Amino acid sequence: MQSLLETFAQHFAWMHNPVVVARQALAGISNGMLLFLIAAGLSLIFGVLRIINFAHGALFMLGAFIAVSLSGWLPDGSASFVAMLIGATAGLAVIGVAIESGLLRRIYRAPHEFQLLLTFALVFILGDAVKLIWGNQDHSVATPPLLVGSTQALGLTFPTYRLFLIAAGIAVALGLWWVLHKTRWGIFVRAATMDRAMLGALGVNTRVLFTTVFALGAALAGLGGALAAPVVSIGPGLHVQVIIDAFVVVVIGGMGSVMGAFVASLLVGLVNAFGILAFPGLSVVLTFACMAVVLIVRPWGLFGSPE
Amino acid sequence: MMSAAGIPILQVTALAKRFGGLQALDGVELAVAPGEFRAIIGPNGAGKSTFFNTITGLLRPDSGRVIFEGRDVAGTAPHLLVRQGMGRTFQITSMFPDLSVRENLQVALLAHARRNWSIWPYARQMHTERAHELLHLVGLPGDAGLPAGTLAHGDQKRLELAIALAGEPRLLLLDEPTAGMAAQERIESISLVHRLATQLGVSCVFTEHDMAVVFAVATNITVLHQGRVLAEGSPAQVRANPLVQQVYLGESITSEGVCR
Amino acid sequence: MSRKVPIALGGALALAALPFAISDFWIFIAIEVLAFALYAVSFNVLLGYGGMLSFGHAAFFGIGAYAAALLVKKAGMAPGLAFALFPLAAMAAAALVAAIIGFFSVRRSGIYFGMLTFAFQMLLYTIALKATGLTGGDDGITGLKPPGAFARPAVYYYFALAITVPALYVLYRLVSSPFGTILRALRSNPRRVQTIGVNVRSHQLAAFVISGAFAGLAGALFAMSSGNVFPGWLNWTASATPIVMAVLGGVSTFLGPALGAAVYVVLEVMISGRTEYWPLAMGVIILALVLLMPAGLTGLARARRT
Repeated sequence: MQSLLETFAQHFAWMHNPVVVARQALAGISNGMLLFLIAAGLSLIFGVLRIINFAHGALFMLGAFIAVSLSGWLPDGSASFVAMLIGATAGLAVIGVAIESGLLRRIYRAPHEFQLLLTFALVFILGDAVKLIWGNQDHSVATPPLLVGSTQALGLTFPTYRLFLIAAGIAVALGLWWVLHKTRWGIFVRAATMDRAMLGALGVNTRVLFTTVFALGAALAGLGGALAAPVVSIGPGLHVQVIIDAFVVVVIGGMGSVMGAFVASLLVGLVNAFGILAFPGLSVVLTFACMAVVLIVRPWGLFGSPE
Repeated sequence: MMSAAGIPILQVTALAKRFGGLQALDGVELAVAPGEFRAIIGPNGAGKSTFFNTITGLLRPDSGRVIFEGRDVAGTAPHLLVRQGMGRTFQITSMFPDLSVRENLQVALLAHARRNWSIWPYARQMHTERAHELLHLVGLPGDAGLPAGTLAHGDQKRLELAIALAGEPRLLLLDEPTAGMAAQERIESISLVHRLATQLGVSCVFTEHDMAVVFAVATNITVLHQGRVLAEGSPAQVRANPLVQQVYLGESITSEGVCR
Repeated sequence: MSRKVPIALGGALALAALPFAISDFWIFIAIEVLAFALYAVSFNVLLGYGGMLSFGHAAFFGIGAYAAALLVKKAGMAPGLAFALFPLAAMAAAALVAAIIGFFSVRRSGIYFGMLTFAFQMLLYTIALKATGLTGGDDGITGLKPPGAFARPAVYYYFALAITVPALYVLYRLVSSPFGTILRALRSNPRRVQTIGVNVRSHQLAAFVISGAFAGLAGALFAMSSGNVFPGWLNWTASATPIVMAVLGGVSTFLGPALGAAVYVVLEVMISGRTEYWPLAMGVIILALVLLMPAGLTGLARARRT
């Protein structure tokens, strides 16, 4: 009995070391912010369009690759970094508009398997398109000079870029909150996630709403990709990986809820960060188990609404 | 209100159900004798749908008892209640639009014959005679091979009735059986149900808004108001009841319907 | 009825004579078509008949494949015996997993049902990837070879035929039976099925398990023929395959998905032979299918006839 407890306790030995804890917490939270950018868009797209966009990871990946290209064309520097962020965000917004108005719009009334297939098709097409354009190898992007290195805080040293990611994530979250609660468009979006039928009665132009929501979701994913570029290995196959955690987040947070996406992203980011320390092999299994449990017990997640 | 034969086919005591802040059912007491054609009326929000959903097992009551044929059935799963002889139709027509008219009945008959787990024999020719009998009974003579979703609204209602009757229920609950019909069609429709119910020995409880329909066929009427039984009795008694008149906003209720 | 019989006989003859007419390479493809046809038809029992869209059906194909591989490679029994048992073992393993996954998944419907199947599949994928001792991890299990004569493509082809055709027949009887009628009613209006006296959950679960079991059989057949199984067969993108095949062929007929499987496999072989961008081609084909040909190939054939 004693040895069992001891073995179990060994999994948590790292808790004694504040540097490790702080480092993992930072990694967890900053990764959570990147997850949030993907999940928020995914959640909104589901909430309003009722489509599970399996291609959302591919949109994130495109954002990262656009950043790669821009970093290749522009000189190193913080201004270029800003340009990369803007370029990826705007580029994905345009791509989002194209996808929604050109493809998705045609199948809103089709059986669900068609909608699923369409997003799968995008996964396959975008995945290969990226290979065609940028090749098969992994790419990287340099951290902008202003954000290189580490910063001292609370008596500990943290990578500056990671702190920046957290700040950026919070800024986006606040911006989203403002848009969703203080603008007319945002109120329609929130109404749509709760009751789509209401929209027609309110005389809202649902066509434009759907397109703009998808574009926003894509833009957020693109921004996430560009922000992730300096800390992530950018290669084909990225899109298959990132979508998985995004789904876990959206399920736990509640489909259609941005607040839920924020909270759940932090949760998943932290669980992943500490899970790797505590149970190296199993932490991945843990996330899917959590996803399954939430779907079984409370499918509308923490902040979603039961239909 | 009970016939000399004794036990009611349906008895409800102190039935209560709350949804958040709303007490949808507030101690409903009801007894339906075998052979009755009972109407449940009441203003919108009186609790009629909740009442039906609770009796048929779709909702669990907070308190009270539902006794069907002498057995307490509160909490029984809906599909088991159907097997025990309680049938139901829906306000918004509910049948199987992708299946043919004939198949709609076949599937109900297969379920009634407890063949739903039969996985080897061909189902195509099973119960076709009985299916056509039922279709004839409800007045659906047309092509039984057409998808049920293509039927006109009134015919869909007939089909729904046939599906319910396929289960040989002893109690049939009809939720707004004439919803969506024109005035004349409504009387015809409810008369058909009444005729068949009498013919087949099925007790009926139905909810209705149209007083002309109610007074045309109901043997007894129960008036629900704010989740409670306000009045009960024969059509004449209910019509003359001052409380009932008050509830319907001081309008006098005549056999032609509510007039202002 | 009378027109179907000569077509069926002609088809049977063609299937029987096939190995004599084509090269070994194409016999392997034919075996793949048989396995995937079974996979697609069994998936369609769930989708086209039961109205349940599973995002995680590749889990059962993969489980069946791994079960067969483990039996042959790691169970330590005589190759002949292992080979004789692998179809049954695959079906049993897949059925068991489907029962567990299905039990939880059918309690929800629509999107939540789909996401549950997705979550469970990813759980299995992770196990296949991490349990390197058992599953070989990323390397998968390779070197699966049928014993003796069965290693010859033509012989394995007839073996696969001898399994696939009866399996398809069993599924055909199933969907034509009273249970099958209940399934179609479930697709049409699940809530109404409850009120004709049928327990919706248990029938949906039964359909899920049957569908999963036969998908597992298909996976095992394919694994023994291709000689290997990899964790990638359990990744979420693999679950697109049965959906594509079923929709391509047409979900409203029994054999439509089988036709879709044949076309899919042949297209994959031909395109992969010429370019590494098969996913791109597949994506474009799916787009064309979804936007231009929603009734699938059988729908197209029907439209031509009228």
